This record gives sequence, C-alpha cells and structure tokens, in this order.
Amino acid sequence: MSSSIGEKCTKIKQEYDSCFNTWYSEKFLKGDVTPMCDDLFFRYKDCLLKVLEEKKLDTLLADARKDNPFPNSSANSESNKKD
Amino acid sequence: MKFFQAFHKFDHSWAQVTAANWQKYPNEQCPHVIAVDVLNRHVDPVTGVLHTERLLTCNQNAPALVLKFLGGSTLSYVRETSELDPRTQKLTMRTENLTMSNVLKINESVTYTVHPQDHSTTLFKQEAQIVAGSALSRFSSYVEDFCLKRFHDNAAVGRAGFENVLDKFKAARLEAASQLEKLEKAAVAASTASL
Repeated sequence: MSSSIGEKCTKIKQEYDSCFNTWYSEKFLKGDVTPMCDDLFFRYKDCLLKVLEEKKLDTLLADARKDNPFPNSSANSESNKKD
Repeated sequence: MKFFQAFHKFDHSWAQVTAANWQKYPNEQCPHVIAVDVLNRHVDPVTGVLHTERLLTCNQNAPALVLKFLGGSTLSYVRETSELDPRTQKLTMRTENLTMSNVLKINESVTYTVHPQDHSTTLFKQEAQIVAGSALSRFSSYVEDFCLKRFHDNAAVGRAGFENVLDKFKAARLEAASQLEKLEKAAVAASTASL
C-alpha cells in the first residue's frame, strides 16, 4: 500500500485506503453510494493539509485548480437539488 | 508540442481493473512514485460519478545537467484528477506535472472502458501532450523529442507494472476462493460428522 507524502499521515492514509478499497468494490460498484469512510478521510485530510502547507504545495495546487478546477461536491448538490 | 498515443487491452474486467487502479502503487516497475495522496473525493449525487483528486510524489532519476536545472532536488509532484462513471463504466484520469512546468509541461489523459465485444476485458487509451517551456525555447524541439521517447518507453514500463498488480490481485482472488471452498468443505464434513 502506498505511503503518504507526510510520514506522520501514512498510517491513517492506509487505514482510509483499506476502507475505500472495500467500499469501492463491495458497495460503490454494486450501486450503493452511502459513504462509509468519511471519518477516516477527514482525519487523514486533516493531517495531509498541514503537510501540504509545510511543503508549500498548497499554493502550487491552488494554481493548478485555476486552470483545471476540481468539481465541488457541495456546489453540485446545491445546484442540482431534485426530489 | 508533441503528442503521444497508446492503446492496450487488459485481460481483466473493468471492475477489477478500476479497483486495482486505486492500488497501482507501489509496484516494482514504478519505484519513482514514492507517495500517493488523496486530496479530494466525492460522488456526485446527481450523476453518480466518483470524482477523485490525487497528488503523486515522484523521485526521478535525473541526469546531472537536468539536476542543475532543478536546483538539486529530484522530487517532483503530479496532480491527477479522475472521473469514474459506474453507469457507463468509464474511468478517465488526467495528470499534469506541478513542478518544472516552466521547463516542460506534460498533460496526460488515460481512459479505461469495457471492451464492446468482450466484456471480460478492458480497453486502455493513453494520450499525452508534451510542451517544452519558455526556459528551454532554444532547444524545445530537441527536448520534446527526447521526452517523447522517454514517455514512450516509460508508458510501456508503467503498463507492465500495472499488469503485474492485476495478476497479483487475480492470484489473491483465486487463493481466497480456494480457501473459502476448503472452509465450506470442512464445514460440510463437520456437519455430516455430527449427524
């Protein structure tokens, strides 16, 4: 299993990866999109964001997103409200 | 500007290929990828598409001259964004280099789709655009040709690495299935013995 850019984030990252891989094959591909790994992802991301900031990669990523934005999940659900 | 294109067929189902794709690294053929991080990920509630943004940290073996350009550091960063549509069974991944882009910009796009005639296999299409940056304007054509050749060689190595990952997954699945079969047989034997 791959490591994180931040050594201190690798353990939680690998826990998240394991959860995601199970979710992907056992739930998502079978049509169940109910989140299963959010808690692990938030904890992993919390650790990762600090490392990205320390390595000054946050600005590099922000610049890349200007040219090629990553779709925002909340914006999507907001603008596409149905039912 | 130079273009690269390659096609390949993986003898594994789309579900297996895409599941393995998330676990492609580390693999022996690609030791330069030293870390893979998930920056963002969500399922679009309307389309059902899984969106993922990842950061790949690479440690490239660079010649001394290139190292001079890099200021001594061989760490490079690649951003990857992907869309995975389970309904149409299509995975599209785009990558761009975040570092050294003033020297060389490589935009790569890869798709994995179900083979229309043989659903047990997966089609792979890879396209890349290579542009030498302003820092190298005098040598741009030379550098682009050199990089195109490197890209071509590395693409084959990368595919071989992924084939190995897929084979390992298949072996693990078969092993799990045979263990399950043994357990079932043991359970049947135990239940008949107790009768």
